[in-house]
Amino acid sequence: MFNFTTFIQLIIDGLATGSIYAALALAIVLVNQATGIINFAQGGMAVLSAYFGMTIGNLMLPIHPILGIVVGIIAAAIISYGMGAIIERFVMRRFIGSHPDTQVVATVGLLTLITGAAGLIWTYNYIPYPFFFDAGESFRIGNVAISVWSLTTFLTILALMGVLQALFRGTKMGLGLRAVADNSASAALSGINVGRMLMAGWGLAAVLGAIAGILVAAKIQLQPGMFDTFLVYALAAVIIGGLDSPIGAVVAAWGIAILENLAGTYVPWIGHDMKIAVPFVLLFVILLLRPQGLFGRKVVVRV
Amino acid sequence: MSEHLTTSVRTEDTGFWGLVDRVTANRWVRWVVLIAFLALLLLLPLVAEPFTNQTITRIAVFAVAVLGLNIIMGYTGQVSLGHIFFVGVGAYCAIIPIRAWWGGDLAEGSIVIGFVLALVIPGVLGLVIALAAVRLRGLALAMVTIALPIIGVPLAKRFSDITGGNEGVSIKRLDYLSSSGATLKGNPFSAPPGIGLADDQWQYYIVVVISVILFALAFFLVRGKFGRAFAIVKENEAVAASMGISPYWYKVISFTISAVFGGAAGFLYIVALQYTSSEALSFGHSIELVIATIVGGAGSIAGSFLGGVVYVLLPQLTNAVYPEATTAVQGVVILLVLFLLPGGLASLPRVIRRRTSRRRGGPTAGADLAADIAPGITKR
Repeated sequence: MFNFTTFIQLIIDGLATGSIYAALALAIVLVNQATGIINFAQGGMAVLSAYFGMTIGNLMLPIHPILGIVVGIIAAAIISYGMGAIIERFVMRRFIGSHPDTQVVATVGLLTLITGAAGLIWTYNYIPYPFFFDAGESFRIGNVAISVWSLTTFLTILALMGVLQALFRGTKMGLGLRAVADNSASAALSGINVGRMLMAGWGLAAVLGAIAGILVAAKIQLQPGMFDTFLVYALAAVIIGGLDSPIGAVVAAWGIAILENLAGTYVPWIGHDMKIAVPFVLLFVILLLRPQGLFGRKVVVRV
Repeated sequence: MSEHLTTSVRTEDTGFWGLVDRVTANRWVRWVVLIAFLALLLLLPLVAEPFTNQTITRIAVFAVAVLGLNIIMGYTGQVSLGHIFFVGVGAYCAIIPIRAWWGGDLAEGSIVIGFVLALVIPGVLGLVIALAAVRLRGLALAMVTIALPIIGVPLAKRFSDITGGNEGVSIKRLDYLSSSGATLKGNPFSAPPGIGLADDQWQYYIVVVISVILFALAFFLVRGKFGRAFAIVKENEAVAASMGISPYWYKVISFTISAVFGGAAGFLYIVALQYTSSEALSFGHSIELVIATIVGGAGSIAGSFLGGVVYVLLPQLTNAVYPEATTAVQGVVILLVLFLLPGGLASLPRVIRRRTSRRRGGPTAGADLAADIAPGITKR
């Protein structure tokens, strides 16, 4: 009963969902490389930005629908950058150098606060997010129906990754960001404003999350807790790919999403509801065999 | 010189805060406070309203859950974001045998089976999870355990024929065969006739007695060999390894013990509520447990109890005032505590003492600082 067109669709949808995981995973790696913190609030910040984008975009909707959507996306990106920078400066800055579990709890506290604030302002109901096309729209190539959402998501995230790569490799700011991530003390001594770089790093990570948030909202509508599951997948991708390897995290994210799609469809016992367990079974096996992640380097600690 | 120093401190130790300082630092006073607290716990349900008793019962249940989380998080320094999973699994392990066998020949034996399973199965699960999860340095445990409630809920729904899925399992009205041969409905945790206690008082005593025993066990655990090993692993894994203390194995042991305490809390949950569902192991509750642990006081036995109080009363409080804001308030509370009182509520007396002794420049300031740096090692 193997149906080849279904198989192709599963792969494409997997790549699209995987891109969302990848965007979130990349944001987490970005923050982690700069500050050593795992930001459990990354998904929450993305959702909050999407809410702001929707609200501002909706003001423009009566003028022209496309204008409203575009303004919404731009607004979400700007607000998320500011949000990331402000959170870094006024909340997380204080926890640099403290015990890792304090840092984790601080970001978990942030997640709770952000989710709660979104719920307070916009309620916990699902709200449809106005977008360029319908979530169910698709076009055909031969026998294969390709979802417009999947293709858009995949290409958007891919383009964003390209922009980030160019930013990191080709601009002065990117050089500063890399210097801070590599060794913040030396970076500070060579005249780089470390604080500003940290804020920029958090801001960029937040923008990446916000775009992913809008893409998810366009498909499954907006809800304060909608990114919790995505966050879990992104964390799995980060562990499998290795915390210090952005490419590893992205590849792992795509792999996870494709694998869980295939397992959910072809292994009847797993089905749609249990497919979230798939990356974690995989994760367990990998952690037992290669504790530093598939692409990560072994770290040697000095006493 | 030292004699002179002591006398000079004595003479300075006047006024209200000096009195507080001396009184709270005295170990006999601590024993008296502890015994008075236990006596209050013992006598209160005889006079209090059923609602008060039920609230304290629930506090005791979640204090044990927080205590378990504290062993891995507060004492060993490894964040677990999925502790509610073990509580939820423990609750299922307790309730399923009771529902199946309490009405039959096993009768009360089914409760014992439920209790044992509620300890063993979460413990085994914790062991298996820890074996894989603590291998990665740093925050891997947090990143892996966050998945537990998120996988646990669909898992519980998948096995809905034994877990009851969304509707859950209730043992409030079970069939049993009475001595006269008629089939009656009964609750395994209603007070036995002739004992003179109401149901809420009976459940209170079961839960509180088991909780106090578990707290005592945890107290000796963290003061003993294991506790010292946990503290060193928390402080510096490389140092621990160089002392012959394997960070890996002690983290595995700590996580397993924490899971067993979680399972025990699950059993107590069943005693208190006689009901559980997949909602009991949701992600939100897991985060609430972490918040309660930090607000109560990480790495503190008294803090674990306060954490239970926070877990039960904070939502009740916000629900009464502004129900929509419950989650937001929890987020604000945890950030405020991290900013202003990193040791949680349990550190409040110590912070006050340090403030006052610093003002006077007394010698306790240094000792308190040392205690803050290594709470598990320094004996106070």
